[in-house]
Amino acid sequence: MIRTAPASQDGLTIVPHATCTFCGCVCDDIELHAQGDRIVRAKSACSLGESWFKYHTAERNYPDALIDGQPATVDAAVERAAEYLHAAHMPLIYGLSNVTCEAQRGAVSLAELIGAVIDSHTSL
Amino acid sequence: MGGKVSATLGEIKNRADFIMYWGGNPAECHPRHFTRYTLIPKGKFLPNGRKDRTMVLVDIRETASARAADQFLQIRPGKDFELITALRAVVKGLPVDDALVAQTGITTETLHDLARQMKQCRFGVIFFGMGLSMTRGKHMNSAAILTLATELNAFTKFVTLPMRGHGNVTGSDMVMRWNTGYPFGVNLSRGYPRFNPGEYSTIDLLVRGDTDATLVLGADPGATMPQPAIEHLARTPTIVLDPKVTHTSKLARVHITTAATGVSAPGTVYRMDEVPMPLRPALKSPYPTDEEVVLKIIEAVNRKAPFAPRAESMMRTV
Ligand code: SF4
Repeated sequence: MIRTAPASQDGLTIVPHATCTFCGCVCDDIELHAQGDRIVRAKSACSLGESWFKYHTAERNYPDALIDGQPATVDAAVERAAEYLHAAHMPLIYGLSNVTCEAQRGAVSLAELIGAVIDSHTSL
Repeated sequence: MGGKVSATLGEIKNRADFIMYWGGNPAECHPRHFTRYTLIPKGKFLPNGRKDRTMVLVDIRETASARAADQFLQIRPGKDFELITALRAVVKGLPVDDALVAQTGITTETLHDLARQMKQCRFGVIFFGMGLSMTRGKHMNSAAILTLATELNAFTKFVTLPMRGHGNVTGSDMVMRWNTGYPFGVNLSRGYPRFNPGEYSTIDLLVRGDTDATLVLGADPGATMPQPAIEHLARTPTIVLDPKVTHTSKLARVHITTAATGVSAPGTVYRMDEVPMPLRPALKSPYPTDEEVVLKIIEAVNRKAPFAPRAESMMRTV
C-alpha cells in the first residue's frame, strides 16, 4: 500500500511519494525529509532536483509584499495590483510555468475579468 | 498540442523499443528521463530493459547524452527541417537527391539505415527538444517531426513527445486550452479569446509597447528578456508574484511573496506527457500561495466597475 501521510519523528518530517517540479519529468517518487523550515534530504531525486528542494526553504527571508520598493502588507499590495490591472487598457498576464494548475486557472479567470492577454513560456 | 500522435511515458516505458531524441540533452536537462521512463527500465514487453531498446540521438553537437546512445547523428546547425523532410521521403520510398542530403551533414546510406530502423521497430518514439523547436524553422520543425511520426504509423506504431522544460509549463498549456481553446498567447481584451502567436506573444507585445500593465506569475522576464521588453516592464506598472524578490520584482511597482510550488504550496502539476500529478509539499510557508493571491486580486477587481458588461446585467428577468 502506498503510504502518503507524512510521518514525523524527532522533529524530522518524512514525506513519501513527493513530487519534484524542477523539470518536465515531474518525478513523483521522492522521499522528502524536512527538519524545521528546510528540506534536509530528497531521496531518489537527481542532483538538480535535490538542490531545488534544498534551495527553497520556509524561512521568512523576504517582506510579505513590496509597493514601489517599500515593505507593505499583502492586502495593500493586492489592492494596488487590482487598481493597476483594472485601470489598464491592455493588461498582460505572463509566466505561469512555475505555479500550480489551480493558480493558472485563477490567472485565466482574472485575464477574462480584466480583458488581458495571457501568455506563458511556451511563446518564447 | 492538438493532433499529435502521442503516448504517456508509462506506455513508452513498457513498449518503446526504438527511442530517438532530437535536439535535446536529457542527460543534463532531464536527468532521470533515461532511468525512469525510457532507456533503462524493464518494461512489460521489454523484459531486458536497455538491451531490448535502441536509442538514436540527433543533435548539432556531441552532448553528454551521446554516451547513452547506440547511434549519434551530428547534423549541421539549422538543417533539421531538411533532414526531417528527406527522412520522410526515404520512409515512403521516394527518391532523394544525395547532394541535398549531404548538406545536412548525414550521408544517404545513414539516412536509409535510419529509415529502415524506424520502420522495423515495434514501437518507436521521437522526443524533440528546444534544439529543434527553437532553431531555424521553429514551429515548422515541430510540425515536420509530428508529421514524420504520423506517417510512420503506416508501417509501425510511432509517437512523438516534446521535451518540456520548466516545472509546470505543460500545465499552463493544458489549463489555457480547456479554458480558452488555445494553449498560450491568448488575447481576451474583446471579451472572447483570440490567438495569434507573434502578435499576442509576450516579447512582441512588450517590445512594441502594446501593454500598459503586466502581472508576472512565477517567471523572471527582467532577467531573461531582451532589453526593450525589460524597459517597457519598468515603464508600465508591473506586478510580480514570486517566492523570491527577483530581478523583475526590483523594477516592478508591486511584489507579493508567495509559497514555493511543490515545496510549500500544494496543487497539481502536469508532467511532459500531459499526465497530472498531485504535489506533496513538505514545508509550511509563512507566505500565501499564488492561487490564494490571484483569487484575492480577482475579489479586489470584482469590487470595481466592470470593464465589460457582465452577463447578469444583460439578462432580463420576466
Ligand atoms: S528529480 Fe530530477 S529528473 Fe526528476 S523532476 Fe526533479 S529535476 Fe527532473
